[in-house]
Amino acid sequence: MGHTATQQAGSGGLTATEHRLDNGLRLVLSEDHLTPAAAVCLWYDVGSRQEVKGRTGLAHLFEHLMFQGSAQVEGNGHFELVQGAGGSLNGTTSFERTNYFETMPAHQLELALWLEADRMGSLLAALDEESMENQRDVVKNERRQRYDNVPYGTAFERMTALAYPEGHPYHHIPIGSMADLDAVTLDDARAFFRANYAPNNAVLAIVGDIDPEQALAWVEKYFGSIPSYDGKVPPRDGTLPDIIGKELREEIHEEVPARALMAAYRLPHDGTRECDAADLALTVLGGGMSSRLYNRLVRRDRTAVAAGFGLLRLAGAPSLGWLDVKASGGAGIPQIEAAVDEELARLGAEAPTAEEMERAQAQLEREWLDRLGTVAGRADELCRYAVLFGDPQLALSAVSRILDVTAEEVRTVAAARLRPGNRAVLVYEPVTSEEEADEAGDQASAADENAEQEGAGR
Amino acid sequence: MTDAVVTMDFHPQPASGQAKPWAFPAPERGALANGLTVLRCHRPGQQVVAVEICLDVPLDAEPDGLDGIAAIMVRALSQGTGQHTAEEFAAELERCGATLHARADYLGARVSLQVPVSRLPKALGLLAEALHAPTFAASEIERLVRNRLDEIPHELANPGRRAAKQLSQELFPASARMSRPRQGTEDTVARIDAAGVRAFYEAHVRPAAATAVVVGDPAGADLDAVLADTLGGWTGNSTEPLPVPPVTANDTGRVVIVDRPGAVQTQLLIGRIGPDRHDRVWPALMLGTYCLGGTLTSRLDRVLREEKGYTYGVRAFEQVLWSPAPHGADGATGASALAISGSVDTAATGPALDDLWTVLRTLAAEGLTETERDMAVQNLVGVAPLEYETAASVAGTLADQVEQHLPDDYQAQLYARLAETSTAEATAAVVAAFPENRLVTILVGDAAQIKAPVEALGIGEVKVVTG
Repeated sequence: MGHTATQQAGSGGLTATEHRLDNGLRLVLSEDHLTPAAAVCLWYDVGSRQEVKGRTGLAHLFEHLMFQGSAQVEGNGHFELVQGAGGSLNGTTSFERTNYFETMPAHQLELALWLEADRMGSLLAALDEESMENQRDVVKNERRQRYDNVPYGTAFERMTALAYPEGHPYHHIPIGSMADLDAVTLDDARAFFRANYAPNNAVLAIVGDIDPEQALAWVEKYFGSIPSYDGKVPPRDGTLPDIIGKELREEIHEEVPARALMAAYRLPHDGTRECDAADLALTVLGGGMSSRLYNRLVRRDRTAVAAGFGLLRLAGAPSLGWLDVKASGGAGIPQIEAAVDEELARLGAEAPTAEEMERAQAQLEREWLDRLGTVAGRADELCRYAVLFGDPQLALSAVSRILDVTAEEVRTVAAARLRPGNRAVLVYEPVTSEEEADEAGDQASAADENAEQEGAGR
Repeated sequence: MTDAVVTMDFHPQPASGQAKPWAFPAPERGALANGLTVLRCHRPGQQVVAVEICLDVPLDAEPDGLDGIAAIMVRALSQGTGQHTAEEFAAELERCGATLHARADYLGARVSLQVPVSRLPKALGLLAEALHAPTFAASEIERLVRNRLDEIPHELANPGRRAAKQLSQELFPASARMSRPRQGTEDTVARIDAAGVRAFYEAHVRPAAATAVVVGDPAGADLDAVLADTLGGWTGNSTEPLPVPPVTANDTGRVVIVDRPGAVQTQLLIGRIGPDRHDRVWPALMLGTYCLGGTLTSRLDRVLREEKGYTYGVRAFEQVLWSPAPHGADGATGASALAISGSVDTAATGPALDDLWTVLRTLAAEGLTETERDMAVQNLVGVAPLEYETAASVAGTLADQVEQHLPDDYQAQLYARLAETSTAEATAAVVAAFPENRLVTILVGDAAQIKAPVEALGIGEVKVVTG
């Protein structure tokens, strides 16, 4: 096991207990009285991978509808009541889960549980056409703000579409397409709720300054009578071969500030030792300011203004190792790509040094300490391991698994996975707006978007 | 509706339990022999320690024509020292599992370190090295200058950043440092070299003009000894504080469109300047601004988002720009930016601004309700324990207080002030902060589509700029 910064390798002595209600709701409790705060986190085992053709974006749009009231909560009451109690809240949607969370002053915990139970059990009593139409417009503006109106904003969407083949449940990203967002109906939303928002498809974590017995009693009281549902359609199979088998490539000519080289490598599924090894490989190559790619491209070659690797951990499909290099000045992509390939090949040929392993493990350990250092972060991780891997306790030992990986395992995964035949590449070449307008293809798609927008918000 | 049949047992909304006492932590103030001020704060159980070094180097100290030299200088601190090359330094820091960030702002410069407590001594040793023995090698400064020049187009391409740059330029006279970007422009950055960076460092960076904020759980470590062994070794003379220039701003109501042909959204930034936190109105301003645009259920989003669907969200906020120590009868002489920001879809730009102005006029005419004020107090005061759970968040606020020349108990007292602020005071503060005819509106969007509808609103003269 590698060096550790703490006595219990990241768990900090944390513990969690597990319970299951008769209706199938799983509950994880973790007590910690350092701050008078309690985090409530509810993961539903549904994400954009459950969406079908023509209805991309439904899971996320639905997440918005969960804040539009339920039988006993009017309109924006969920937000108003939590914030008025001194709490903070939100929800997020990813490929393989949807989560809802409130962090409350400890004495307001019961309110958060009452609110979550009310919408789990009675959302359809309040869901109507008006909130559907309103949130459809809000989500379309979310898409514009976060993807369509920022440079490189659609890179993640394009890369995902390249890396997972057409028809694969992870081929599209959770935000969905404008056309599909327009097409979603209230009936789709109702059916989605019935199929997926049942207690037996969720994990609830309550973490912080709590009395576990009292918390369990409240959960029984508020959630206990919500009926379970057995008709959930399981997500389509996300299995793919370990290796893509050839390089997939797309070159984008767009109005962006600089050339960019991005690539997604197909990596082992989350929850495996190989995925932890891949995380370390990516950190050695492209994490922080002392990584091989940063030193090579930003410090020495000076061909890049930023260079790094990130890991998108996925349990139901291969994970993605995400390379992002923004070119410096006039540096060309071929030169940058050759340097990247050289560094990747070198890691596949020679294991990282003991010092590099120590650095990568120390960085990942600190990231875990940060995540487990707040009650909300801890609640989210407990839910993650419970939903995706069936065991919340794995959250508390995640760091020790990363520290257990050897340099040779890092080399092995790099040799097997971090190579040109296992990646989807996206190259950005900047153009000015005039040039862009001259391209017939782009003009057509720009016109489509305009037509769509004029329909929105009126 | 038959398909909406609900089969669960309902219970009435629960009452709240007994609130537990919580107070913003009081730091312990001291100094090292070299004149470095130290604020320490024990946060039990926080395994990642946060250290903030506040350098009393406001951007006003930058030599004429060298905007951005403060930012390059603080970044260069970690790019090579007497003991380590730039690469070695980064490697040693990351071996500690540490992160180190540096930035220069109008108020002062800041170096922020976070590290697991077991590696604090080693990381503090590296930080001390960066502060007292930076090499400023010519090749590293050249690289940082080029890197900065590469970053500028990325920032200008971002609609939010571009709007902020334009607003500063519009509000402040060209002679004021605050009218110009914190990290300089392509022209000024290109002039920065190693000799200039060293001279700037030597003139302004010294322990007597700096404060170290250390927050976390030292878990039995002898923090005094660690600080003496590390930051205690930093030496330098004392320094005269810089003169404090007055702040003026032109908030004549007007609109500037930064043209982005084909943009699918318009980025809005609507602002002017207000007081700093020394002003007694601050708690009322915070409350009123929260009611106007602090969250999804505030007045702006209630209409623009939750009724009309024009936006993913619009926020009103205040951000301190300049906060010198008040002296004599003049009282507070600082400034904050008061602003409303968000993005709306292009076609809705005119209608969204129209609604936004209606919200401001209604607020001025009718004032806030008691319920709104109560909700705002309960939120702003209630979230404090949640907001200050980590060492980093506590250290950040303590460092802000240092930079803004506020007393160490400012944040702790603020919660009491918020709780005693009336609805009338909050109304008066927010109405004075956002007068409908004294707001500068920056729109980053497609001028061909938005100019005419915006002109029709009568919110001021409309000018179009490019770039």
